[in-house]
Amino acid sequence: MDRIKETTHDDLWILLEKAKDGDRDAFKTVVRLYQQKVFQMAYSFLRNREDALDIVQETFMRLYQKFDTVDTEGNFQVWLLQIAKNLSIDYYRKHYSRRREMEVEKSVDELDPASGAAASPGLNSDLRQAFSRCLDKLGERQRLVFVMKHYNGLHYKEIAEILDISIGTVKSLHFKAVQNMKKLLSPQLGMQP
Amino acid sequence: MAAFQSGELEGREREQVIRHIEQCAACRAELELFQRTLQSADALKPEFDKVMASIDWDEMSEKIVASAWDKRKRPRTLPEREKFWLFSPKLKPVVAGLLLGILVGAVAAWFVFRGRTSENGGVASLFASKEFLDRVDLEIARRETLDYLEKSQAVLLEFAQSSAADGKFRLNEAVAAKARELLSKKKFLNLQLEKAQMAKAKDICDQIELLFYELAAVSEGLTEAERQEIQNLIEDRSLLLKIRLLKKELQKSEV
Repeated sequence: MDRIKETTHDDLWILLEKAKDGDRDAFKTVVRLYQQKVFQMAYSFLRNREDALDIVQETFMRLYQKFDTVDTEGNFQVWLLQIAKNLSIDYYRKHYSRRREMEVEKSVDELDPASGAAASPGLNSDLRQAFSRCLDKLGERQRLVFVMKHYNGLHYKEIAEILDISIGTVKSLHFKAVQNMKKLLSPQLGMQP
Repeated sequence: MAAFQSGELEGREREQVIRHIEQCAACRAELELFQRTLQSADALKPEFDKVMASIDWDEMSEKIVASAWDKRKRPRTLPEREKFWLFSPKLKPVVAGLLLGILVGAVAAWFVFRGRTSENGGVASLFASKEFLDRVDLEIARRETLDYLEKSQAVLLEFAQSSAADGKFRLNEAVAAKARELLSKKKFLNLQLEKAQMAKAKDICDQIELLFYELAAVSEGLTEAERQEIQNLIEDRSLLLKIRLLKKELQKSEV
């Protein structure tokens, strides 16, 4: 993904223009540059490898169909991740909501709180499961902000652009997400809620 | 706190938070809890890395491009649709709106005209009122009667001025023809007089008609006695005078 940083804004638009004109290699280069970013976004939200790969494919198909609507002055990564985010949300609502709700209902409390207080919590498998379930308990926007910040490595400004909200709202959502995670994980982390 | 922990604060803001934490035990404790929570988020990172490593990204990119190019090669249906631009998805709301407008207009028109029809009692009254049609009927009857009276007067005057030749009175053929013509006209006039409720005019016209029947019956030839009888009939009934008066009255009552 470092290649993205090496690719300048002008280089990218040249690639996109070529791809739009039917240059297969140019389109492939764009896909290779951004596919992992898109996958990270989809996977951190859905946490299913195959579903996330489907989202990656669908995102680039949308790009291919909507070359004309790409804003040449704007941030292409933000534009692309907006599509991935929307597709992920739609997919989640369609296929996951009820299933995750059922999983979450039996989740955190059934795990062994003592195991979470172990010396290396980050490596603990129960903690991983607990964290995963706690993440699902967050509201949709809090979860999106949290995964974009911690797993996609995006800045508040980029998250604000992708979600089309203000930076202040992103900060607030992030703070609430961490607060809620802290409460939910307090047994595993050996803390007072 | 979350922004500080996530490295979103820089420069002066960051220094201020650090200075505050050094002095405030409560915030220090809170920060520690935040740190532990965010560290636990790292528990998922090995899983992410493992999944990312399990994917052949070159193959994936090739698959995506192949899929896009495959769709590109397929004949596109859009140009076909553009021919029927009226039914294109973009125009569907417009077409629907137009159809709805026509439908609403038709229903509204139906209600408006149906209401008027029922108020005035029939489709015919859409074009002329009953009163107007009555006046038209009256005017036609008046003119027809005047015409009938004019012609009848002429026939009767001609009859009155005629005289017997070689002891046998011969009715002028033209007078007889006019009398027959007036008899047939009277049949048509009867309907109009009844429709226009002109009883007085009808009465006089009936008397003239009777006389013309007499004339028609004796058209072959009249004796002086017969001629005198008809002449007396005209005079007794003051037919010529009645005709004149009725004509005057009808001329005055022109609509």
